[in-house]
Amino acid sequence: MTAQRAMGDGRIADALRRHAPTLGIRAQLALVLTVFLALPWLGYQYAREIERLLQSAQDRALSGTAQAIATALDDRPRLFDTPADPIASFARERIADEGSAGVALPPSASPEIEQIIRGLSRIDARIWVVDRDLTVLAHTGSLRRKPPPEAPPASTLGAIWQTVERATVGRLYTLFLEQPTEDFRDEAAVRGPPRGRDIEGALAGILTFDRRRTLDGKAVVVAAANPIWIGDRVEGAVVVEQTTNRVLAERNLAFERLFNIVLAVLLLGSVALTLFASRLSSRIRRLRDDAEAAIDANGRVQGAFAGVDAHDEIGDLSRSFASVLARLSDYAAYQEKMAGRLSHELRTPIAVVRSSLENLQQQPLASDARIYIERAQGGLSRLSAILTRMTEAARLEQALQEASRERYDVAPVVVACVDGYRAAYPDVPFDLAIAEGTLVVEGAPDLLAQMLDKLVSNAVEFRSGAPVAIVVERAGDAVRMSVSNAGPPLPAGMQARLFDSMVSVRPQGGGAHLGLGLYVARMIAQFHGGSIDVANRSDGSGVVVSVRIPLESR
Amino acid sequence: MAVSPVRRWQDRGPGSGRIRVVSRRIAIVEDEPALRDNVAEALRRHGYEVATYADRASALDAFRTRLPDLALIDVGLADDIDGGFDLCRELRALSAGVPIIFLSARDSDFDIVAGLRLGADDYLTKDASLPHLVARIAALFRRSELAQSAASAEDVQQRGALTLDLKRLTAHWNGKRVDLTLTEFWMVHALARHPGHVKDRDSLMRDARITVDDSTITSHIKRIRRKFQALDPAFDRIVTVYGLGYRWDAAAG
Repeated sequence: MTAQRAMGDGRIADALRRHAPTLGIRAQLALVLTVFLALPWLGYQYAREIERLLQSAQDRALSGTAQAIATALDDRPRLFDTPADPIASFARERIADEGSAGVALPPSASPEIEQIIRGLSRIDARIWVVDRDLTVLAHTGSLRRKPPPEAPPASTLGAIWQTVERATVGRLYTLFLEQPTEDFRDEAAVRGPPRGRDIEGALAGILTFDRRRTLDGKAVVVAAANPIWIGDRVEGAVVVEQTTNRVLAERNLAFERLFNIVLAVLLLGSVALTLFASRLSSRIRRLRDDAEAAIDANGRVQGAFAGVDAHDEIGDLSRSFASVLARLSDYAAYQEKMAGRLSHELRTPIAVVRSSLENLQQQPLASDARIYIERAQGGLSRLSAILTRMTEAARLEQALQEASRERYDVAPVVVACVDGYRAAYPDVPFDLAIAEGTLVVEGAPDLLAQMLDKLVSNAVEFRSGAPVAIVVERAGDAVRMSVSNAGPPLPAGMQARLFDSMVSVRPQGGGAHLGLGLYVARMIAQFHGGSIDVANRSDGSGVVVSVRIPLESR
Repeated sequence: MAVSPVRRWQDRGPGSGRIRVVSRRIAIVEDEPALRDNVAEALRRHGYEVATYADRASALDAFRTRLPDLALIDVGLADDIDGGFDLCRELRALSAGVPIIFLSARDSDFDIVAGLRLGADDYLTKDASLPHLVARIAALFRRSELAQSAASAEDVQQRGALTLDLKRLTAHWNGKRVDLTLTEFWMVHALARHPGHVKDRDSLMRDARITVDDSTITSHIKRIRRKFQALDPAFDRIVTVYGLGYRWDAAAG
């Protein structure tokens, strides 16, 4: 029964064996943080919205300009009488031949119109006035903007920041955002406004917009064309052109500012969250390590588990863990004391039975009645023996508390013990191998002998034929004593449990064995600051119990 | 043999069954009625007069009126878990000479030491059989009876510096009295009878008429050593033979 219980527990322990977390708290938090990657996208959308607003503002501004100029030229037929100037045409051809770099505009065919519109010219908008045949009557302004003067950084820190920004995120922006450039090929500058939708619409009498790319695709040009009315006839059109560079620049600036802030917040947030998660997970890991250290391989609670004072859930968890462990250890102690307490409780009723039998024996009795009394007394003495053995562990525990420690050499104690065993078990051969020199440990030689007694009596009991081997050897800074016997190997999973109270692999029902021998041996090993282990021989021919006790350095 | 006239009795041991001139009066203080009655009956059969008490108060009342010749006290008396100890102290206050034996289910070293310190003459666990108990009671009576009388040579064993008076159950080391309990005396006697021979724990238990486990034997031996060492710090006659038991070393140290 006890053996079965122990093996069941072993299985539970296997099931509970710890697995390393595949996804730690930090990794999970990082995963959660990916949600914030939506922020740059939102920023981009926001910048797009700004761009649209700016564009419509630009459109309105352009159309306002076009309308104003057209209004100024309306109903002044004289201005449109001038025929196309062949020189202007020639110049246009020539400049076009010189290539895209040419920025010279064809001379205006109508100096009067030119005079009118010059006052309205804007530095980064170009105004064309064309007649119905698309002959350029006048123009002013340029599509190219003068580069805005670079604002000097407020401080050296600002300068460093600007450099860093350009080297890092600035690159990112040029990847994602269309950068306005003044280095585009302005073919209209030499050919005049192309016959696009805007002019068609204007000549049809409607204020029309067009948006087109320059042929090299480097810039987008917005054009607003307004008809010029002479009476109720459209005599020409005013075309106001402007690149979207200003809008793009505004948009990019807005986006960059936003993105810088988002990036900074994200970076700060990630760092803060990572630190927080690291701290959290390190606290949890520490709690786990403490918790695991609090229970040894045999499931015994080792010492007190100190809860931490932190006033959060983890502190709470550690405190409740501490209280759980305390209760567990109380319960374990209760269980281990059970045997002692039970025997104590049974002692008085057994004394009643024994004294009754002894009194009965004094009475004149029939001879067959005496047989029964003898049997009853036989049973009773077995019961007493069991009770005595049951209290042994409890008594030893107490003895250990009071035992005085001394430094002594293990070797002579073991030699004396083995001599004793040779006398006590005349039928059993003992092989003793003992290391040279002194093996000084701290503890109590009496107890060491008692431990050896237990191990040897187990070995003798389970042995089959071959000698019981006792080996004492140095193992680093410890002495290793092993007692091994040939015999049936231990059932799997029982090794660690064997040192617990009331666990035995003996067949049930045979003799008064309580499985306290190894339990007692372990207590003594621990008293010496050592440990005890039981294992099958590597070839499966028997069982080895080995005790490791640290050596005292003189 | 100078025996007190009032307490004249046949000194053949209580088991001889002879009627005593004046029967000795034993008080049993035990809360378990069946055990109390069994012990009382056994003692009566051996010719003792027995008074039984179930608790401390009634026992103490009776002791105040009349002292018993010997008291057999259980440590735990019903709800009064250390009642026996208290009673022992109170009885010792009434009389320094009354032999007291503890008979208890409690067998920890702590209880044994506590009981003996309070002035009890012996401490028995309830494992002790009635014949053992009776033998012990007889021995205690003999010891207290003969304490003042001169020792006769045939009852005295001499082992070097150790002198054992088997009649009075007393031990002397270098002429000084070693204050041993009965159990301890019997153990010393068993060891010293055959110096140099190893006595294992079982035979020590048999000789001391107790049933205890190995570590109790160990602590008894330790206590005996300590009592001798109190008189003679160099005392080292009781040698532990690991794996076997103990030996009285005859070699003069």
